[in-house]
Amino acid sequence: MPKLMTSRRSLLKGAAAGGLLTASPLVARFASAQSSAPIKIGFQQHATGIGAAYGRWYGRTTDAAVKAINEAGGINGRPVEIIAEDDGTDPKRGAEVVEKFANQHGTDVAFGTLFSHVVYGSAPAAGEQKMPYFVVSEGHHVASGKLNRYTLQPGITDVKSQVQAMAPYVSENLGKKVTMIFPDFAFGHDHRDFFTAAIEAQGGEVLEHIAIPPTETSFTKYFPKIPRDTEVLYHVMVGPAVLTFVKELGEFFGPSSPEIFGFIDSLEAVDLSSPGLEFLEGTYFWEGNPRYAQADQTSFDKNFRAAVGVDENGASVSDPADVSTYAHMFGCWETLHVIKAGMEAADYQGPQDRQKLIEAVEAMSDMAESDAHPQGPKVFNGKTHQVFGKQYISRVEGGKLLRVHATSIEDTLYPDEVDYTTMTF
Amino acid sequence: MRVRIFLFCVKLMVCAPGIANAHVSEQGFVLLLPTGIYTFAGVSVVALTVLALFALPPGAVRWLFTYRSVHAWKCPACRHVTSLLSFCFFAFLIYLGLFGSRNPLSNLMPLTFWTVGWVALVSLSGVFGNIWLWLNPWSGIYRLIGPQRPLMTLPQHLDLWPCLALLVGFAAFLLADIAPDDPTRLARFAAAYWAVTMLGVLVFGPNWLMQCEVGHAIFHAYARLALVRVQAPAGVGGPGWQVHQAGDYRLAGLFALLLLGVGSFDGINETFWWLGKIGVNPLEFPGRSAVVWPTLTGLIAAITALVAVFAGTVWLGMKMGGCGVKFTTAFSCLALSVLPIALVYHIAHYLTAFLVNIQYTVAALSDPFATGADWLGIQPFRVTTGFFNQIDSVRMIWLTQAGLVVLGHVWSVLLSHHIALTLFNSHRRAVLATLPLSLFMIAYTFLGLWLLAAPKGA
Repeated sequence: MPKLMTSRRSLLKGAAAGGLLTASPLVARFASAQSSAPIKIGFQQHATGIGAAYGRWYGRTTDAAVKAINEAGGINGRPVEIIAEDDGTDPKRGAEVVEKFANQHGTDVAFGTLFSHVVYGSAPAAGEQKMPYFVVSEGHHVASGKLNRYTLQPGITDVKSQVQAMAPYVSENLGKKVTMIFPDFAFGHDHRDFFTAAIEAQGGEVLEHIAIPPTETSFTKYFPKIPRDTEVLYHVMVGPAVLTFVKELGEFFGPSSPEIFGFIDSLEAVDLSSPGLEFLEGTYFWEGNPRYAQADQTSFDKNFRAAVGVDENGASVSDPADVSTYAHMFGCWETLHVIKAGMEAADYQGPQDRQKLIEAVEAMSDMAESDAHPQGPKVFNGKTHQVFGKQYISRVEGGKLLRVHATSIEDTLYPDEVDYTTMTF
Repeated sequence: MRVRIFLFCVKLMVCAPGIANAHVSEQGFVLLLPTGIYTFAGVSVVALTVLALFALPPGAVRWLFTYRSVHAWKCPACRHVTSLLSFCFFAFLIYLGLFGSRNPLSNLMPLTFWTVGWVALVSLSGVFGNIWLWLNPWSGIYRLIGPQRPLMTLPQHLDLWPCLALLVGFAAFLLADIAPDDPTRLARFAAAYWAVTMLGVLVFGPNWLMQCEVGHAIFHAYARLALVRVQAPAGVGGPGWQVHQAGDYRLAGLFALLLLGVGSFDGINETFWWLGKIGVNPLEFPGRSAVVWPTLTGLIAAITALVAVFAGTVWLGMKMGGCGVKFTTAFSCLALSVLPIALVYHIAHYLTAFLVNIQYTVAALSDPFATGADWLGIQPFRVTTGFFNQIDSVRMIWLTQAGLVVLGHVWSVLLSHHIALTLFNSHRRAVLATLPLSLFMIAYTFLGLWLLAAPKGA
């Protein structure tokens, strides 16, 4: 194993310096670099395949972040260049893309993967190629210990922390008797398991687990299974039939329904004022990042929207109907800023410094809410390679999502399941 | 795990390469539309058309497909010039594929090949005729450097077999390859195909293009439906008047059936129904690499089943009509009547993808080398899919697709009757002989509208 010359302390000091460098508009662009060659970041993009719609917004956010970083002087005085390769949202293709980054394009790092099965398929290749692999997928796969030391998720929180952080608010404000409706496969099972444990820890209980077959497109027959004393209905339906689900739920309950809580994943990029979604009025959603600009909007969120080209409703500034994937795409922005901070902390010069870069990121801890982290403050866990941050709960009012609660970061924490720092490079 | 099955993970339009752009809300809104009523209405229109054939006087259908001869536009040099220009552009695309942007949505190689060529130009050939005669990248070069006479002659019995095989191969690439829109991969395939074809043309002469170049075969097939034909024998007539052409290849009908089979499977393989059949959770599509063999098997099965069912309807019709025509002749001629269905399937299936990817194409034209240029002065240019987020625009798109599908089937019913009149020379025999075929087309209308309305997950 190559001897590492950089101590954790010096890395942290470097990170701080990097932050200052970013913040200063007076720094001459790319002036201080030992090399003027660009930092190459391989962007594993879901340009086609089932993730294409997400890939489009991840692409827009990535372009905006790189533009902002370059305008602020780049990384270590070098410009950043994105090399986007389409993985077709396919794990096998994803692994090929990572290998191309390493062997063909000579990228410094790989970044941007969203879908979990592509992360699973690509991470081994990243490990073999010794390529730092920064994923933006929300999966629990990184923190669960199933991947490797080269794979990190420093820009977006994972599903386990998101789900468990909902339980305190739900139990204290909406009710303790919960019925869960979820699709009957791994995704739904994750929600079932994580939330059931979390609500029980809050003194609540799940009265009924209603698992819906993935191929189902009509749901009315399942609703009579909802116990009458249900206080909160927790739903995480996904797929093309989700609008039908909402419509039928509204028809079933009419005006007298229990409190309803869901994950915005079900309706990410769907206009909530769409006909048929009136029933959502007054219901609650988890949001990774509030889609609608709130009354107390930070300047960071405002700047982020302006940079990406998103209006106060979370839609494209060029088409109000083109709603973004706002709850997730900030992850690309924040991850790229983490890469920048890490490279500056490690005094990254080239691929020979990849291990130093990973150690620099592992050494990170607090990330203040800032232009680099517009979603909110975060804490990075270097052992599990996973970042933790605030989660938001919003209520639909007037066809818009109004934030009613922000969790603490502590609400999202859970015991470490792995220590990647003990693994060899 | 969650991101794997986000709402968006359900790809809503197509899984064809380079033309894939999913949006969940479009599919979600389609499921909210009264598509059952729309489907019933569409199938009824086709069924009523079949019934009307019994009542119509024999001359009515013939009149629909009458045509008038006009002077052919003779300017072979013009075609050679456009072909040479097309070759230059093709070479530029190959360059971009090999050395341009790695993103297929900002690289003109896959965008031009799939969105402009496969989706748009093929569709337009049903209106404007065989534009491939003008745009193919071989005939101009052959004119410049080819020998006066072909060095060798293609055997007549080869017929269109090479094109049939190439069409299946192309469909396999389209539907089953794991990265057919990768710019480099596509450029290599296209360059290799161009080189082999060029060699074939140089050795065997222009006949190679007619029998062994699948682009010519596809455009030639759909061009039969155009109102106007400018090359000899030129004419203007009801859409479909060109279906019978002197010197037709015997397998032209089978080729039309294969076009329909490929188009149909391209829709079927995205549905919840199909994914369920191959054991894939439609909310958790594992990627194309995981379904290569099921896709290939399904493609072959769909084509085989279509040809078998069609042959069965023709055989049954001949029994009912008591016709003295050879089965193979009837099959070949009547199979051409599915061309309108195949064409409208093509247009309807790719319409949504086209609406998105033509935007990417415009953006790439403005910045072909992905260097941040803005040659067309369109910046800030942002691709939008907002029209999939509103039920009114989704309804309009869906009804356009459904309307096309119904129109195509009505057109096919009439065309098959017209062909049968020519074949059997009797209105009564023609009606009886095409009755099973008409029932087949009614059923196919249902299939087409069901495909548009069905939930999709790949």
